[in-house]
Amino acid sequence: MNFLKKTIFTILTLSIIASLSLTLIGCPPAEEAVEEPTPTEEPTPTEEPTPTEEVEFKAAMATDVGKLGDKSFNDGVYAGLEKAEAELGVEIDVVISEQQTDYVPNLTKLAEDGNNVVFAVGFMMGDSIKEVAEKFPDTYFGGIDISLADADFNPIDVPNIREILFREQEVGYLAGVFAGMMTKEDSIDGINADNVIGMVGGMKIPPVDRFIAGYIAGAKSVNPDIQIEIIYTETFTDPAIGKEAAIAQYEAGADIVFQVAGLTGVGVFEAAVDKGNYAIGVDVDQSISSPDNAPVILTSAEKFLTQATFLTIKDALEGNFTGGDTAYGLENDGVGLSPFHEHEDIVPQEIKDAIEKAKQDIITGTVVPPETPEEIE
Amino acid sequence: MEQLKEILTPALFAGMIRIATPLALTAIGGTICERSGIVNIALEGLILIGAFISVVVSYFTGSAWLGVLGAIIVGALFSLILAYFSINLRADQVVVGTAINIFALGATGFLTDFIFKEAGATPGVAGLNPIKIPILCNIPWIGEIFFQQKPIIYLTFFIVAISQFILFKTQIGLRIRAVGEHPRAADTVGINIYKIRYLAVTISGALGGLAGAQLALEEIRRFVEYMSGGRGFIALAANVFGKWTPIGSWLGSLLFGFAQALELRLGIFKIPPEFVKMIPYALTIIVLAGAMGRATAPAAIGKPYVKD
Repeated sequence: MNFLKKTIFTILTLSIIASLSLTLIGCPPAEEAVEEPTPTEEPTPTEEPTPTEEVEFKAAMATDVGKLGDKSFNDGVYAGLEKAEAELGVEIDVVISEQQTDYVPNLTKLAEDGNNVVFAVGFMMGDSIKEVAEKFPDTYFGGIDISLADADFNPIDVPNIREILFREQEVGYLAGVFAGMMTKEDSIDGINADNVIGMVGGMKIPPVDRFIAGYIAGAKSVNPDIQIEIIYTETFTDPAIGKEAAIAQYEAGADIVFQVAGLTGVGVFEAAVDKGNYAIGVDVDQSISSPDNAPVILTSAEKFLTQATFLTIKDALEGNFTGGDTAYGLENDGVGLSPFHEHEDIVPQEIKDAIEKAKQDIITGTVVPPETPEEIE
Repeated sequence: MEQLKEILTPALFAGMIRIATPLALTAIGGTICERSGIVNIALEGLILIGAFISVVVSYFTGSAWLGVLGAIIVGALFSLILAYFSINLRADQVVVGTAINIFALGATGFLTDFIFKEAGATPGVAGLNPIKIPILCNIPWIGEIFFQQKPIIYLTFFIVAISQFILFKTQIGLRIRAVGEHPRAADTVGINIYKIRYLAVTISGALGGLAGAQLALEEIRRFVEYMSGGRGFIALAANVFGKWTPIGSWLGSLLFGFAQALELRLGIFKIPPEFVKMIPYALTIIVLAGAMGRATAPAAIGKPYVKD
């Protein structure tokens, strides 16, 4: 009998632990799910009809599980909403997704709320956005890094979904031009005489490979004999492996390592600190988002999600919304190299000029960076 | 061949030691725990908790060493959950361990958000710096591999030796093994089964916490969500590979560390990284299948002890 009592107690206590941990991972109370994004403004109830005025234009986003505060995708898109609010007078909203099963309900809620443009953030939300967009044909959807495909992986277009993609290869190319020339400036502390640079990729997926392909092509365009070490860590969340990967490259003579590896890339910066060399950041200006590593981050290959989000809202507002693939590159400020910040003075003017020239060449179409490393022999 | 010669450098082996250290600490903890008859699936969660606590303490006190201490203490305390449920309440040890892992992942992620107002990763904190051991660090090869490392790595060498000695050469070690092999017999000669098992579980918690502190304060100087990255499970594999001995666990960890360090330098040979990721588990299966001599788990492992 005693044993039975204990068993029941065990099951009860275990389920308490399990439910507690589930609460911490996800399932927040419903009222927390919607954040009020406009602290400065008095929230105006939108349900009240104002027949004399034009109906207000509304834009909203559903985050992925990275949530706001990730200093990357979600924050970037949210900043784009804020910009649209400030410059276009658009009313904005955001819903936080705690887990992947929140995607469809969150997107549905935003569409039901009467938002004119709804953003979904990240490759993983592709199926959800498609499902919801088909139910709300009059709502525009923007999918960041999303490329839609049918069951056989053939690309498809949905008229009310804009697949917001970036030409990572263009900014990768600029990073390559920069690293390819910088590695020869061995009078600078932390730059050695070896003609080697490095590259740590998270996984072999198209956005990462576009960065890599551009990087290789850019470096070789200014430094044909350069040796480029490339490692995929097969994880975006293991910084210790990222550090070991970068250490291996620094020990092989690399003095600048470009990381496209999410949180794994945090380890690349740590390796640069330990080895006294340099790194190039990705997605956002990581000198700003990781200030304690700023001394080793020469620049970052940025994807301007803010700008892409803003432009999509603007297009929708002005009646210019188009569905299907829309790539943002150098010519429409969709990607770009971050400022050098504290390294401004050590970067020679000729390198800055070369980057500017490469940028113009890409914009005018004189140079077309490859999209996959396999295209470069 | 020429390329292979370039790869086989002291730096490769120094990398092996770095990668192996958190695995070894965790695997030794797992060995001691399993020797007493308790399966510790929760090692992964304990690393995560240790890493998180070490960063929080280091962040608020500015002292990395206090962070290490905090990680050890909280790791030990946290493992008491496993001890209480599996020893006193006789719950299924695998279920309790899994619950702890899920809890650790959720709690550390939530608290990172809550304390630092950052998602994913905390700001940088004071970490532990390398210490060159005088004279020894100048020995060619050996010096670079063993004596230019960071403090917890040195500590690990001691822990390997001491835990091997304690487990096989002392009375308390004999008691731990007896309790894991035949608790009834141990009980009849007056050994307090519960006390020994609590001790063993707590040690594994402390070592798991220390492993987390090593990962956070010696490698990354910050906490990153799910930075344990499956090391707790690889440690379980190392533990089996080492046939439930501390030295064996250490050698197993070194082997996995070597495979990983080599893979990171083998880009030119185009070995898929997925293949290397598979090595620990494949080796574990080979060992369990008896290809490398007998590997028998402690007889009473996973079975709650009921005192009549």
